[in-house]
Amino acid sequence: MEDSPGMTASKTSTAEGAAIAGVSIGIDIGGTFTDVVCATADGTHILKVPTTRDDPGRAVLAALALLRDRFDIAPESIASFTHGTTIATNAVLERKGARVGLVATRGFGDVLEIGRQIRRQMYDLNLAPETPGWLAPGARRVEVTERIDATGAALTPLDETSLANAIAKLKAEGVEAVAVALLFSFLNPTHERRVRTAIEAAMPGIPVSISSEVDPVFREYERTVVTTFDAYVKPVVARYLAAMDRDLAKAGVPVPLQIMQSRGGLAGGEVARERPVRLFLSGPAAGAIGGQAAGREAGLDNLITVDVGGTSSDIALIDRGRVLVKSETDIAGYQVRVPMLDVTTLGAGGGSIAWIDTGGGLRVGPQSAGADPGPACYGRGGTEATVTDASIVLGLLDPSFFAGGSIRLDPALSLKAVDERVARPLGLTVEEAALGIHRIANAHMADGMRLVSINRGYDSREFVLVPLGGAGGLHAVPLALELGIGRVLVPRYPGVLAAAGLLAAPIEHEVSGAFLTPIADARLADLADAFAGLDARADGLMRAERIGGLARERLTLADVGYMGQSHYIEVPIDLAASDPLPALYRAFEAAHERLNGHKTGAAAKIVNLRVVHRAHRPAVAVGSAAPPDTGRSLKGRRHVLFPGETVRLDTAIHDRALIGASECLHGPAVIEQSDSTTLLPPGWSAEVTGGAALLLTRSAP
Amino acid sequence: MTATGATHRIDLAAERFDPVTLEVIRHRLDKIAEEMQATLLKSSCSPIVKEGLDASASLFTLDGTTLAQACAIAIHLGTLIPAVGAIRAKFPVEQMREGDVYILNDPYCGGTHLPDFAVVMPVFAGGRPIALAATMTHHQDVGGKTAGSVPTDSTEIFQEGIRIPPVAWARAGVFDDTLTAVLRQNVRIPDIFMGDLHAQIAACKIAAIRLREAAEKFGDNALLTSFSVLLDRAEAMTRDALRKLAPGTYRAVDFLDNDGIDLDRRIRIEVAATIADGTIHFDLTGSSPQVKGPINCVPSGSLAAACFAVRAVTDPAIPSNGGCFRPITLTLPEGSIVNPREPAPVNARTATIKRITNTMLKALSGVAPDRVPAPNSGELLVMAWGGQRRDGTSFVTGELLAGGAGAGNGFDGVDAIETDATNCMNLPVEAMELDAPIRVTRWQLVAGSGGDGTFRGGRGQLKEYEILEDVAGTMSYSHRGERHFIAADGLAGGKPGALARSWITRADGTEEVIPSKIVTRLAPGDHVVITTAGGGGYGPPDARAVDAVGRDRADGKV
Repeated sequence: MEDSPGMTASKTSTAEGAAIAGVSIGIDIGGTFTDVVCATADGTHILKVPTTRDDPGRAVLAALALLRDRFDIAPESIASFTHGTTIATNAVLERKGARVGLVATRGFGDVLEIGRQIRRQMYDLNLAPETPGWLAPGARRVEVTERIDATGAALTPLDETSLANAIAKLKAEGVEAVAVALLFSFLNPTHERRVRTAIEAAMPGIPVSISSEVDPVFREYERTVVTTFDAYVKPVVARYLAAMDRDLAKAGVPVPLQIMQSRGGLAGGEVARERPVRLFLSGPAAGAIGGQAAGREAGLDNLITVDVGGTSSDIALIDRGRVLVKSETDIAGYQVRVPMLDVTTLGAGGGSIAWIDTGGGLRVGPQSAGADPGPACYGRGGTEATVTDASIVLGLLDPSFFAGGSIRLDPALSLKAVDERVARPLGLTVEEAALGIHRIANAHMADGMRLVSINRGYDSREFVLVPLGGAGGLHAVPLALELGIGRVLVPRYPGVLAAAGLLAAPIEHEVSGAFLTPIADARLADLADAFAGLDARADGLMRAERIGGLARERLTLADVGYMGQSHYIEVPIDLAASDPLPALYRAFEAAHERLNGHKTGAAAKIVNLRVVHRAHRPAVAVGSAAPPDTGRSLKGRRHVLFPGETVRLDTAIHDRALIGASECLHGPAVIEQSDSTTLLPPGWSAEVTGGAALLLTRSAP
Repeated sequence: MTATGATHRIDLAAERFDPVTLEVIRHRLDKIAEEMQATLLKSSCSPIVKEGLDASASLFTLDGTTLAQACAIAIHLGTLIPAVGAIRAKFPVEQMREGDVYILNDPYCGGTHLPDFAVVMPVFAGGRPIALAATMTHHQDVGGKTAGSVPTDSTEIFQEGIRIPPVAWARAGVFDDTLTAVLRQNVRIPDIFMGDLHAQIAACKIAAIRLREAAEKFGDNALLTSFSVLLDRAEAMTRDALRKLAPGTYRAVDFLDNDGIDLDRRIRIEVAATIADGTIHFDLTGSSPQVKGPINCVPSGSLAAACFAVRAVTDPAIPSNGGCFRPITLTLPEGSIVNPREPAPVNARTATIKRITNTMLKALSGVAPDRVPAPNSGELLVMAWGGQRRDGTSFVTGELLAGGAGAGNGFDGVDAIETDATNCMNLPVEAMELDAPIRVTRWQLVAGSGGDGTFRGGRGQLKEYEILEDVAGTMSYSHRGERHFIAADGLAGGKPGALARSWITRADGTEEVIPSKIVTRLAPGDHVVITTAGGGGYGPPDARAVDAVGRDRADGKV
C-alpha cells in the first residue's frame, strides 16, 4: 500500500467495559500516507489520507475534518493528540535544515570533517565523504582558546577575546543556529555553558545546542556530530511544531501536541523542540511500540515485528515485552549517536524490483519502484516487475480492493512486467517467475529476521511473528516457516500500526551523563549523587509535561564495558538492592554473553549513567472486540497460487471486519481489510484473540 | 568477442537448475559466511580482532575454491586460498573426518605472515564431507623478538614468531595435546592466543551447523550442484565485465619509501596488467628484489590486491567467490619483494599490499576511467607508544591514520579516509587521553595537501601529541609511515598530493625529522607531529570551477 490519491476509513465497536475518557488520536505522517487512528468510547476509527509534503499540517486538518464529518467527532472532545513525524529526518534528507555554525576547541575545528576515517563502500573507488561536514563547512567553524583535560580540570581557561572573535565570525557568516562541542565537556561543561550564554547575548533568537547537554559522552567526533545535527534541525522542528500547535488550536483541539521520540516514548511539543535530535525515525519506533502493544493485548511478549513497506522492511525484536534500545543509528547515511529503538531496516519491500544479473541470476531489490512510478500495476508508467506485481500475478491481492478499493490496479500490467522482465529471460512460466520473486524477497526478509534473532542468541522458534504494514500479512507465514515460527499475530489494524503505537506509548524522558569509573572502584555514594543529578534534570522535563497524577516509573541504567574495550552495553542498575555493584557486573556479563557469545570474567568499567522517567497513560483499546459470529465474513472465492504451493487453490476470501469472535478459519484462505491483506496458506488456521488480533497457528507439520 | 562470450554464458534453464533456488542458496551462503565472521569477531579476546576487525571467514568447496567470503578488510581477500590448498595437499579430503581441525601460519607454506593463523574444518552432511570452513585471524602475539610479533626491524622470519606448517590439531574431535603444549610455550600470552584460536573453531562450527541445515532443506546433492553453478556464474560475470574493458597491456610504477632498514633506498613496485578476452594477467616483473626489512610480501598478498583491483574496476555487485578469481593470473618473480625466498621477513607486508593494489589500479585507470580516480595517498600510518607511568603502571597504545583519497572526474577526493585494501578506525582524542599519558594538542586537516586539479585531491591530516610529565623515564615509540618520499600522482592533468611529513620536537627545542619509519624513545615534554599525505588531483587545475575555488578558500581547504 504505497500510495493512493484517495482515503479509506473503517470502524469497529469497542470492547465491553473499556472506559476511555475522551478521544485519543494518533497520527503518523509518513512519506506517502498520513495514518490516523482515533479511539473513542464507542469504537476505533482509522483513516489514511495522502501526506501533504509542502505543509504536513494540511493533511492533519483534513483528517480532523473527516473525523468530524464522517464520525461526528468534535475536535473539542479530543483528550490526547499524539504524533509521529518525519520532519527531522526529511530536513536532513532534503538538506533543508538551518545554516549552522560550530564552535570547537582551538586546534580541533576539523573534528566534524575528519570523523573516524573508515568507509562503508569497500570496493567503490569513487568515494563520497563519510562525515556530514556540510552541516558546518570550514567557513562556519570557529575555534575558541580553552582546554579541559582528561580529569575534567580546566587546563586552559576559556579566553574571552577568542570567544568574542568567534562570535563575530559566526555573525558575519549569518548562521541560524549554533552547535558547541568542546573537548572533554562531558566531564566539565562550564566552558560550553559560558559559550552559550555569550552567543545568546550577542545573537538573540539564535538557538544554541551544547554537546554536554545533547550527548554528554566521550568520543569527540560522535558527540560533535549529534550536537551539530541537533542544531541543524532545531529551527525547522520548532517552526513545524509551532505551526502544528497553531493549526490544532484553530481547529478547536484543546490539548497540546505530543510527539514520538526515537527511543519509543512521547514528549510534549514544548520539550521536544528543545531536544530535536531525539525525533529522528519516530515512525519506525512507533511501529515497534504498536507491535509491542498488540502483543500485550494478546498476552504475548516474545515477538518479532516485520513492517513491510514500499521500499524497505523494518524488523524489531521484542524480548519479554521489551523492545531493545540501541545507542546509535543511521540517519541519511551517517552514524549518529542518538538512542533509538533497535529496528533493523532492509532494502526489500513491495516495490522492490526483480532483475536478472549478467550471470543469468534472478535478483530482487535493492532498487525500488517507490511510490512513483510504483509497481507496474499502478499504471503510472512503471514497467519493472515488483514484488507487488508478483502478488497480483499469484492472485494474493484483489486488484479492485487494494487499499480498501481506493486505488484500482491493472493486473494485465503486472502480468506483462513479470513475463517480459523475468519469466521469458529465464525460460520460466509467468507463475514460476512470480513465485520466484516472492521466494527471493522472503529469503531476504528471513535473513534480516535471523540477524535480529538467531545471530543475537535468541531462538526464533520461541517468538511470535507480528506482520505490520500493508504487505506484512502477505509475507508473514512464509517468513514464519523459514524461521521455524509456529504462530503469527496479525494486529487488528496492521496497516496503521505506527499510528496505533502512538496511542500505546508512554510519556518518557531520558537523561544520561558520563561516569567513567571501574566497577571495582565505584562508590555507592558517588553513584547516588550522580543519579540524583540526572533525576533532577529528568524531573524538570517531566514537570514540563504536566502529567498530573499519572503513574510514574523510573529506570536507572549504566553503560558498562570491559576495561580496554571500546564498546559498552546498557545494563539496569538498582542502588536499592543489596550489593548493587556485583549485581551490575553479573548482569553485564550475562548480557555480554548473550550479545557477543562469550564473557571473560575480566574487570569492567562504568562509562555512562542514565535515568529514564516514564509516565504510563491509561490504556486505550485500539483493536476493540470482534463481532459475534455472523457467518458473514466469507465475501468470495478466487484461485490463489500460494508461495510454497505448485498449483492454484480454490480459496475463500474473508472480510476481516466480519470475522466472528469464536470463528476459526482454515487455510487456504485470504483475509482482506482496508489497510492490509493476510494470507492463510494450507496447513494454517486463524482465530480471533485479545485486542481483536488474529492468531495464525500452524495446524499441520 | 561475442562468439566466445556465448560459450561462457550459463544457461540455467537448459541446466534445469532453478534460478530462484540458486539465488536463495547464494544468499544463504553469504549470510552463513557473515555469521561465521560475526562469531569470529564477537568471541575473540584480543583487541586487534575486536576493534581492528583483523580476521576473516570463508566457505570453500572440497576442491579448495572459495564459495562465499565475509570480508571485514579486503587485505584478507583470497589469502585463505593458499592456506586451504596447502592443507588439502597434505590431508586429502577423502581422509578427513568430522571434528578434524587443521591449522597453519607459515607464510612459506600457504600463510600470509606469522600472526595470521588459518583454521580449517571439514563440513559434513549425510555422512560425507560437503565443504570446508576456514578462518584467518591476526593474533595479538605469536612469539618472536618483540611483543606483538610485528618487529619493524626484523631481518629473517625466525625473529617474527613460531612457524607452523599445515598440521592436524584435532582428529575426529580429539586434540593433539603435544601440539597444544608446544603452541602455548611459544607465545607471550597463551590464554588469549588459545582463546582466539577457539573462536576460530567456533566460527567454523557455526558454518558446519548452518550448512548442514541448508543441506537438509535443499538436499545435499542439489546444494553441491548449486556450488558449481554459482562459481561458474560468478566467473562468467567477471569475464563479461573484463570483456567490456579495452584489451591491451597497461603499465604503472610506484614506490614504497623504504624497508625500515635501508632508509634511503626506495622500493619499486611495477605492474603490467594485460586484458585479453575475458581474462586479466598481472605481471609484477620489474618490482624490487626482496629486501632486508619486513615489508616483503608472499604471493597471496598480490592475489588479494588483484582481487580487490578487479572487483573495483569491474562490477562490485558480482558475487564474491572463487569463480571471480579464475580469470585472474599473476607473474610474481621469485626472489622479488612480491615473492620472497625463505627466510625473508614479511610481517609488515600490509604497506606493500596497499601499494601493489594502488599500482594495479593506477595501471587500469585508463581502461576504466569512470571507476578509477586519481591515486589515493595509499597510506596507513601505524604508530605505537609504550612505557611506564610514574605510579609504576604500564601502558601501550597505538594509532592508525589515513591520508587523503584521490579526486575523480566530477568529484573532489575525500579528506583523511581509509582506501583500498585496509579499513581501520582512528583513535578519538578523548579515548587516548583517558588511557595514556599523552595529550593531543592539535588535530586538523592539512590545508593545500590535496593535489590541485579540476577536482582537488583529499587532504591529509595533522595530529600533534605531547608526552606528559606522568611518564617515568622514557617511552618507546614506533612510526611506520609511507608517502614521505614519493607522492600520490595526479590523473588527467591533476597534480600530485602533498607528501607525508612527520617530526619530533624534543623538550629542549631540537627538531628531528622522521624518515618514514623509525623506532625511537620519547621523554616528557617531547612533541610528535605527524602529517599524512594528500590524494592526487584530477584534471588541469586551471579548469576548476570559479565558485569551487572560492569555497575552498573560504573553508580553509587550500
